[in-house]
Amino acid sequence: MATSKTGKNKTGRKFDKVLVANRGEIAVRIIQGLKEMGLGTVAVYSEVDRTALHVLMADEAVFIGPAPAAESYLVGDKILAAAKETGAGAIHPGYGFLSENGPFSRAVEEAGLVFIGPTAESMEVMGDKLASRRKMRSSGVPVVPGTDEAVTDPEVAVGIAEEIGYPVLLKASAGGGGKGMRIVRESGEMASALRQTMGEAGSAFGNDACFVEKYIEDPKHIEVQVLGDGKGNAIHVFERECSVQRRHQKVIEESPSPSLTPELRAEICAAAVQTAQAIDYRGAGTVEFILAPGGEFFFLEMNTRLQVEHPVTEMVTATDLVHAMVKIALGEGICYAQEDIIQRGWALEYRLYAEDPGRNFAPSIGRIEGMTIPQGPGVRLDTGVYEGFDVPIHYDPMLAKLIVWGEDREQAIARSRRVLREFTLHGPVHNLPFHLWAIDQPAFLDGSYTTHFVENEFDPDNWLPELDEGQAEALVAATALFEALRRTGGKADGAERNCTAQNWRFNALRSMTHNK
Amino acid sequence: MLMKKRYVLNYDENQFGAVVARDGDETMVQVGEGDMTPVNFRPVLNGKAISIRFGGRLHLIHLSSAGKGGSVQATLGGRPVSLTVMDELRAQALESLGDAAGSGTIAADIPGLVVQIKVTEGQVVHKGEPVIVVEAMKMQNELTAAISGTVSEVPVAEGDSVNPGDPLVVIEPEPGV
Repeated sequence: MATSKTGKNKTGRKFDKVLVANRGEIAVRIIQGLKEMGLGTVAVYSEVDRTALHVLMADEAVFIGPAPAAESYLVGDKILAAAKETGAGAIHPGYGFLSENGPFSRAVEEAGLVFIGPTAESMEVMGDKLASRRKMRSSGVPVVPGTDEAVTDPEVAVGIAEEIGYPVLLKASAGGGGKGMRIVRESGEMASALRQTMGEAGSAFGNDACFVEKYIEDPKHIEVQVLGDGKGNAIHVFERECSVQRRHQKVIEESPSPSLTPELRAEICAAAVQTAQAIDYRGAGTVEFILAPGGEFFFLEMNTRLQVEHPVTEMVTATDLVHAMVKIALGEGICYAQEDIIQRGWALEYRLYAEDPGRNFAPSIGRIEGMTIPQGPGVRLDTGVYEGFDVPIHYDPMLAKLIVWGEDREQAIARSRRVLREFTLHGPVHNLPFHLWAIDQPAFLDGSYTTHFVENEFDPDNWLPELDEGQAEALVAATALFEALRRTGGKADGAERNCTAQNWRFNALRSMTHNK
Repeated sequence: MLMKKRYVLNYDENQFGAVVARDGDETMVQVGEGDMTPVNFRPVLNGKAISIRFGGRLHLIHLSSAGKGGSVQATLGGRPVSLTVMDELRAQALESLGDAAGSGTIAADIPGLVVQIKVTEGQVVHKGEPVIVVEAMKMQNELTAAISGTVSEVPVAEGDSVNPGDPLVVIEPEPGV
């Protein structure tokens, strides 16, 4: 198994084997990138992920413990031990889990391994919203009006809110992913909102520091992909817009943004480069901005990792961000020059979640009973699941990401309609029909949608299109035939109760069909 | 050899009767009040779908059996549909049992962890009121009362793991509440 020793390798590169400290589609995507670069790959897996796709694809795989992430994917020591055991010289953290954990990245480097990502210092500055606000303000990057210090006294918070004007947003300094935020619209709400936000922040993040900022109504969420070499050089790889969200989590992302003029695009991308340079950023990162209806934009936060939605950037700029990250980690610097980065066409990403849009997007689980993957021009599927895989309850319900590219936005949407209809998934309830709904809404089609799109437009009781009469009859006929074939599955001797879907398929194909 | 089967299908709010008949090589289907007509179909994609010509159009319908009780998942044109299909005799037997579905019982629909119970036994609740919070896949799902009434039983405690179908809160309907 493990042949090379830590820090040494056959190829003369800084490392020739990488451990991927993640699971699901992102672990698969990183393993794919590493293989393309001729690097060895090591997967880690928990009890319920023994047959997960990332494990099947890696050269080596190390078991790291029980299903709960806190006992497996989040345990830095187990990951480090797995790297030692297999002789991996570097660790790619993916997103989530340990990807923005400063102490972990420090421990990796102290163990003599390469962390494929930014330094612990960058993570710590950007992981603390107050620290990052201060840093950006002093670097001349615009931040949302509000406080740069933690607020604990509701009286003080009310004073600030009156100064900047209601509504305001209370935010946990250590928060993220939509957690630890509350909108306050009048002074009477402040005391209890502050108490609750601090309570949540304390229990969720172990840090109850909260601050007040102006709440931007009808914002758009624009983010800029950056690459930095860790020595003060950085480039941008243009923007993405991620305004279709539910529960403050993105569901559809696109690049370019339909909301930016060329001038605004140049300004916002320059601000992102400035952000990365201000902290000598190393690796791939994303600077998030909110765009107010008037065209003003403000720094929101920087995600110091590879983002879920990185493929839309890759599709429109013909780049490979995983390769770029690994090359930076190998000490080869940024593999693209700014002037070589050109946007071409339009890409949309649809996150495939195992969840029920009609029931407040409640998660769903189960075995993937059937999956037909769409193909054809302009289609990319990054998946962590396959037919027959049991989706575990312990992790994020995102199963895959469908990315569709077109020559322009209109063609990309038209193609998406075709592709989403070709994509079939049986087993868990999922949100593919939600995407079909979303891309036909006027506010989506004309690009005017904001982060309130779902709450404003989506009616959970009336969103699925009705089948037309012909479809309904065909469905009934096909289902009755399906049942008849299944039950008689080739055995007329009363053994039909044992007839499984599998042998229905088998027998149906052999003997039960005709087609004139 | 003539074989004839009658089925009752339900999806969304719709109920259809359907008859499938086979006579030698020929398969006939009758949907609802329509005519018994020869049907041109073929199981395809390794048995995961049926390609069927119906009403002058060709439809590709993906079908999977979903658990027991004749549940079927279907997708056509990107539209997923959950159906139940059962033979007519079974459908009649079930109907004669009456609608025993007590909507006063709130049950878990996915595996998860009970994180908060918002009601106690004897408490009066109104339809739509949140009664319990179950966490699954890192997300908290608030379940609400489907009817108004009095909470008669809470068979779970905070911190319990629950599986689909486990009763969580039982509400006795009360006229006038």
